[in-house]
Amino acid sequence: MLEIKNLHVSLEEEDKQIIKGLDLTINAGEVNAIMGPNGSGKSTLSYVLAGRPGYEVTDGSITYKGQDLLEMEIDERAAAGVFLAFQYPIEIPGVATMQFLKVALNAQRKARGEDEMTTPDFMRLVRGKAEQLNVTTDMLKRPVNVGFSGGEKKRAEILQMAVLEPALCVLDETDSGLDIDALRVVAEGVNALRSPERAMLVITHYQRLLDYIVPDRVHVMSDGRIVKSGGKELALELEKDGYAAFAA
Amino acid sequence: MTVSLMKTPAETAYADAFDPQGALADVRKSAFAQFAETGLPHRRMEDWKWTDLRQLISKALPPASGTSASAEAIDDLIAASPFGDVARARLVFVDGSYDPGRSSLPATGDVEFASLGSDDLPAWVSDKLVAGSTDPIAALNLAYMSDGAALRFKAGSGMDAPIELLFVTTAEQAATYTTRNVVVLDEGASATLIETHVGGTGEYLHNAVTQLHVGDNARLDRVKVQEEGLEAIHLSNLEVHLAQSACLKDFTLTIGGRATRQQGFITFDGEHSESYVSGAFLLTGKQHNDTRLVIDHAVPNCTSRELFKCVMDQAARGVFQGKAIVRRDAQKTDGNQSSHALLLSVDAEFDAKPELEIYADDVICGHGATSGDLDEDQMFYLRARGITETEAKSMLIGAFAAEAFDDVESGAIREVLGGLAEGWLARRKAG
Ligand SMILES: Nc1ncnc2c1ncn2[C@@H]1O[C@H](COP(=O)(O)OP(=O)(O)O)[C@@H](O)[C@H]1O
Ligand SMILES: [Mg+2]
Repeated sequence: MLEIKNLHVSLEEEDKQIIKGLDLTINAGEVNAIMGPNGSGKSTLSYVLAGRPGYEVTDGSITYKGQDLLEMEIDERAAAGVFLAFQYPIEIPGVATMQFLKVALNAQRKARGEDEMTTPDFMRLVRGKAEQLNVTTDMLKRPVNVGFSGGEKKRAEILQMAVLEPALCVLDETDSGLDIDALRVVAEGVNALRSPERAMLVITHYQRLLDYIVPDRVHVMSDGRIVKSGGKELALELEKDGYAAFAA
Repeated sequence: MTVSLMKTPAETAYADAFDPQGALADVRKSAFAQFAETGLPHRRMEDWKWTDLRQLISKALPPASGTSASAEAIDDLIAASPFGDVARARLVFVDGSYDPGRSSLPATGDVEFASLGSDDLPAWVSDKLVAGSTDPIAALNLAYMSDGAALRFKAGSGMDAPIELLFVTTAEQAATYTTRNVVVLDEGASATLIETHVGGTGEYLHNAVTQLHVGDNARLDRVKVQEEGLEAIHLSNLEVHLAQSACLKDFTLTIGGRATRQQGFITFDGEHSESYVSGAFLLTGKQHNDTRLVIDHAVPNCTSRELFKCVMDQAARGVFQGKAIVRRDAQKTDGNQSSHALLLSVDAEFDAKPELEIYADDVICGHGATSGDLDEDQMFYLRARGITETEAKSMLIGAFAAEAFDDVESGAIREVLGGLAEGWLARRKAG
């Protein structure tokens, strides 16, 4: 589904290279985890996948479902099924969460040549998913992420993911700032979305999340590269020995 | 009469046409004398430095009232008011003159109405028409005002069904139309008032004054929508007196007009009163809007809030001048004003000039102003969810402006305002 080859990424503003030759292949149906110390470039990778401005790909390629992902606009990528659950979800004052979700879903459907979803159908869809994720009606009425606690923001991200039903889910530190109960709710939400057609890239600093979202493959990232890949047991090794062994 | 300062063709036209008659002749004469002291305000006057009327009104726009426009033209403009379904009563003024045939009076004895153009005004109206405003444009208005609504809400009455004052200017003539409203709320009355200004395409000037006299324990919600024609100059003055424990909530949406200067003078005459004045401008092309507010905390224990959200596209120009005066006795004043500008083009410009004149020591007063373009992170977030760039921009602009009318009490009116903002955004998208 996703094939990243020899990816090199620099900041547009300053002459600083962050990703320095990264290779990664993700197949449909798989959950891949990327672990690595702070500053190793994990969020940068997720932003480059989503198309955030400010990053320049200086070399390498990203192919998504056979298409050149780097040639696609931000919203085209979303409509094609790429979803990033943000490490730091952005607040949008004045736009109600429900309204935002509806506009987003229908924009994606329109881009794919599908009919818009009617308001009653949409309400039913969101209510059901929101309940599973402990997202209250009150939260849905509030402006996007405004006044949400850390945990509420993360649950709202997963709700968006559940409603939009992307093919490639990139979760950037979805566990940070969650207590164990919230972590469980979020992990259940994510696990419910696992399917043979869908791939997930779970980025985390801690092994803890991977107890709940069990990965097929684990990759260690350090200084802008994947330095080791393995099965789920690699996460436990890292937990025990730390990242020191992989320091560049 | 000093006319030495009347130099420009526009000023000369005002002086030449001046010939007051009737019961108000003396009041008009002293008002005109007051105007003549300065003539049209110009950029060397501190408060007018961003809006030079001598330059802006470059040719004579002689005072006029009454219309020669066709019935269709008038009815089309009336239909342009977005409040047709919301207003429970409507007083229509066409080219500065009351149109009883197109108006519907409030169906209740709780409110008294007089047309300011009538010869025989009741005392509660004429008492309020006194020369003395220090503003030259308000003085010119009193000298020339041809018509407008005088409304008196009886003590204790609760008229929450909105009354609309609809000012239609057909732009048939390149002229100055001068209207004035006098609104009195007796003790404990409450009312919702809509003031709508629509106009045709063509050059004209509308000089509009609204006087609000909010009595003890009375409450007024007022919403003004300014959609004058795009070649029009709109000069307006809001003069407010709040008695004790009175409350005013005022919101103005400015979409129309080539150039707008709107002023609000709010005076607290009684303690424990509150004034909330907010506004949004949605401007494009070379539109110009200069809003100036003067909040006079003359007595203790009053609260004032001002919030203006200004969206400027292309080469539009916005100004917000907010002044709060807190007199020596006005202890426990709570005053705050803020203006926020969203600049959608590098050629758009915004200036904010907050002024605090505080003579009391036990007060909480503040002001804030921001100016910027759309937030890149917010844009990215919306687009990362599949929303197109154009749609994402519209959502953020709409949300920005809507904050200024979030507090409008009536849901139906809020919906109309949201619709107007959406209409503006749709026209912007269509280019
Ligand atoms: N927009 C940016 N401006 C400046 N530095 C950045 C920016 N984005 C990333 N960096 C830097 O790049 C490195 C990698 O950051 P990041 O991708 O956030 O790492 P991680 O998510 O693994 O903690 C860090 O040194 C960070 O400071
Ligand atoms: Mg990170």
